[in-house]
Amino acid sequence: MSVLLESSGLNKRFVLGKDNEQRVLKDVDLQIEEGEFVSVMGPSGSGKSTLLYNISGMDRMTSGSVKLGGQELADLSEEELSDLRLTEMGFVFQHIHLLKNLSIFDNIVLPGYLARNGGRSAVNQRATALMEKVGIGELADNDVTQASGGQLQRVGICRALINKPSIVFGDEPTGALNSKAAGEIMDLLADINRSGTTILLVTHNVKVAARTERVLFMLDGRIVAERKLGTYVGNGRESSAREEALSAWLLEKGF
Amino acid sequence: MLVVRILKRDIARKTLVAVVVFAFVALSALLVASGSNLIIELSGALGALFEASKAPHFVQMHAGEIDQAEIETWAGANEMVEEQQTVEMLTVDGSTLYVGDTERPERTTIMDVSFVKQNPRFDFLLDLENQVIDVSPGEIAVPIYYRERDDLRVGDTIRVADGSLDRTFRVAAFVRDAQMNPAIVHSKRFVVHEDDLSALHEHFRETEYLVEFRLRDPGQVSTFAKAYASSGLPKQGTTVDRDLFMTLNGLSDGIVAGVVIVLSLLLIVIAILCLRFTILATVEEDVKEIGVMKAIGVGRRDIGRIYLTKYVLIGALGSLAGYLGSLPVNPLLSSNVMLYMGQAPKGVIGQAVPMLAAGGMGLIAVISCAIILRRLRRITAVEALRSGDGRGPGGHLPVFTLRKSGPLGVNVFLGIRDVLQRWKLFGLLFFVFLFCAFVIIVPVHFLTTIQSPSFISYMGIGRSDIRIDLRQSEDRAQRFERLLAHLESDADVEKYSPLVTSQFTMVGEDGVEETIDIQTGDFSIFPLDYVEGKAPELRDEMALSSLNAREMDKAVGDTVVLIVDGQEREMRVSGIYQDVTNGGRTAKAVLPYNPERVLWQAVSLDVTESSSVDRKVQEYAEAFHPARVTDLEGYLSQTLGNTISQLRTVTLVAVAVGLCVAGLITSLFLTMLISKDGSQIAILRSLGFSLRDVRVQYLSRALLVLGLGIGVGTVFSNTLGQRLVSALWSLMGASQIKFVIDPIRAYVLLPSLLMVAVSVTTLLAIRGIREANIAELIVE
Repeated sequence: MSVLLESSGLNKRFVLGKDNEQRVLKDVDLQIEEGEFVSVMGPSGSGKSTLLYNISGMDRMTSGSVKLGGQELADLSEEELSDLRLTEMGFVFQHIHLLKNLSIFDNIVLPGYLARNGGRSAVNQRATALMEKVGIGELADNDVTQASGGQLQRVGICRALINKPSIVFGDEPTGALNSKAAGEIMDLLADINRSGTTILLVTHNVKVAARTERVLFMLDGRIVAERKLGTYVGNGRESSAREEALSAWLLEKGF
Repeated sequence: MLVVRILKRDIARKTLVAVVVFAFVALSALLVASGSNLIIELSGALGALFEASKAPHFVQMHAGEIDQAEIETWAGANEMVEEQQTVEMLTVDGSTLYVGDTERPERTTIMDVSFVKQNPRFDFLLDLENQVIDVSPGEIAVPIYYRERDDLRVGDTIRVADGSLDRTFRVAAFVRDAQMNPAIVHSKRFVVHEDDLSALHEHFRETEYLVEFRLRDPGQVSTFAKAYASSGLPKQGTTVDRDLFMTLNGLSDGIVAGVVIVLSLLLIVIAILCLRFTILATVEEDVKEIGVMKAIGVGRRDIGRIYLTKYVLIGALGSLAGYLGSLPVNPLLSSNVMLYMGQAPKGVIGQAVPMLAAGGMGLIAVISCAIILRRLRRITAVEALRSGDGRGPGGHLPVFTLRKSGPLGVNVFLGIRDVLQRWKLFGLLFFVFLFCAFVIIVPVHFLTTIQSPSFISYMGIGRSDIRIDLRQSEDRAQRFERLLAHLESDADVEKYSPLVTSQFTMVGEDGVEETIDIQTGDFSIFPLDYVEGKAPELRDEMALSSLNAREMDKAVGDTVVLIVDGQEREMRVSGIYQDVTNGGRTAKAVLPYNPERVLWQAVSLDVTESSSVDRKVQEYAEAFHPARVTDLEGYLSQTLGNTISQLRTVTLVAVAVGLCVAGLITSLFLTMLISKDGSQIAILRSLGFSLRDVRVQYLSRALLVLGLGIGVGTVFSNTLGQRLVSALWSLMGASQIKFVIDPIRAYVLLPSLLMVAVSVTTLLAIRGIREANIAELIVE
């Protein structure tokens, strides 16, 4: 498997005032291979969300290198980064962040229309297929206020996949959901990963991380540990075993 | 102290908002202070001029023989009369007059030029210091009209020359003439020494008299006018009174003052709308902070005080800045008043009114804030602390969806859709653009109208290529016949219409006889636009000017009793037309006239297409000397030149104000909107929308609202604007102005200017998005 996303010596500093800097990411090196399902864990303030935004180009790193498919992000202009986000990346947020003044269907096709990826009717067909796949086909004409949290997160996933991105980033995608809905979303993401999409999640939730193949643990701006869990097949007993194994590992490491 | 700290931080955070609101309050205060100052200066200057000149209360013009002893006897016996004098005006033909350093005489002037000596008892002709002019032999005092037209200076020359005479006078002063100052009055008096006047009498025989009276009680002028009309004293000419002098003198500056004040009131309305928008947006943004303050026990009054203090400060500083800004602006606005009427000392009230007016604007802004801030009452601590991102429930429009948006690009669709969904929010911008379009388009329409040849119809004259006016002379009747015979046989003349204005006696409803000036002729040759009804065709029909109709309280279909050939004849009012000349009091009829009572004779004519109007004007001026021959454009520009020039200035100022207001408000609105929409913009950018995409969305919003504002503003300008202008001009006798519209200017050029202003400001305002960090804006 080739490396899809990699960072080396990634640093991010925030300037808070005169002679007052906060170093949030410290020499972060990571590699994500094509088709992997990776999670980044850590306590609050460890820098995991900052890492996500820096390796996705939503924030500019202070120093270091980030490459997606061999393309150095630091060499790209704002327009080029926007284009990359549109065509090669998908995002799933904790609070979903749909546009309230558009219907559910319009929210999903919006990036597709913008990318002009095969014409609008092709985009419409892809959107319909995605909605059927994730089980929300009947919600197309609904307002965003006419769906549950779990349903809306599925909408977020459809939107993230509309342009067939190389990689999907998730920032606490189940953070605002109850446990049943969270489980369903993780099953869905696993299924998407099995179809070939590379996924990188940020989470503080062991249950979520346990369903990914590899867990990176961050502390004080650095990746301090890594645990490979193997492919998640997707059943209840396996899920519990993986959670236990991960929890034990974290305890052992003193995290 | 806490309040001061909060204020400083708040203003530092939202500097643009504070600056724009301050600018609007200041601009409104400036305009209202300047407008009210202009009104005070105008009324003061008018009063001072009329007092210094001891202007007459009633004047009867007369061309012909005069018996001064008879007039004095009558005046002496009339208790209403305080003083009487008769002014002799020596008519000097324009073709013999050379103004300034020029080889070209005033051949084509429409002005009746008279030379006079200084008056002995009243109706003094004043210089630019409002002192009674006293010229020495060889010197001359020239009306301000010519000073402005030809940029004359003291020391320049006025030459009077025909075959047998060649006299040059040195300009010693410029004349402020309470009766004849404005350009719309087609008579001008040049002041010379008594000896020079006597010498000129040898060469110029035409004389006109002003039989003038000052009354003990100026309020009795109407009664006096009736008494004079039935007195049998000389009345071969128009009568005018002091009220008309004041109206004509004050009209164009009064209109400017009115426009300025209306502008300032509209600006303060915009300032209030801006304040409302910014306060509501600020309260919405600060709702969590307000909740915290309430939760810890800070009272509603104290919270309100924090916000109100900021706007009290902005209001007070804005008013002060506006008032101070008006001080250098005042001389610019009142320069015309200063020149034509002089400056009157301003009393305490005169100084105080502009200050109070400016302060009033600030007060209006603050009171509006206090009213708007009442909504703070409705925020409870718990609601505020639990509130989300401040956006409303949203909801989508089922009909207008992205899927069904057709050929519209995604960004344009998002922009348009947002305007439709948040139309209340965009209401401020819409209103501002409507106002800007109105403020820009109405003066432009008016300027186009007043410059158009069809404006002649508001002067009670049908549109023709050339107009020939015969001056009063002994052989005028014969000259008129010769003129008509020549025109009849001139192959270059396509059509012509002889018109004779003479005096008739009208019997009022109270049985009192009055004089009325009536023009007779065939009005179908050069037809006029009638406000109501039509031109008189039958011998028992007459048309009235709108001022006459208003004063006589007559409408179409009513009757007026005239004495024709010694008999009473009932005349039916067939139509009402507009006329801003001769005080706006004229009439038309198809009647035989008494040659003894003819005031003036004129001929309107059209030349054939192959003829040159300029050449024919020269030819007729030479052939029919001393007739006054003018082409239509020359007539309009000489009559309205000063008004057009002022209107051009007002129009330029209005265009500048409109563009600045559009730009400032767009800047304020979009800056606040972008701040409000921060998280939405971040979401779009996270999805891959570039900065360019976001700019297109905001530009679409701005241009859509602008387009709607211009569209509705244009409709308002063409309807309400037209009525407003008509209302202003109705004072002069033109009550129904119909705009002549230049479609390129009105529908292409001006909207394009607004679009450029708004687009540039939009692009500048949305630069701020570049600096925003997506990651920081997305709320997690």
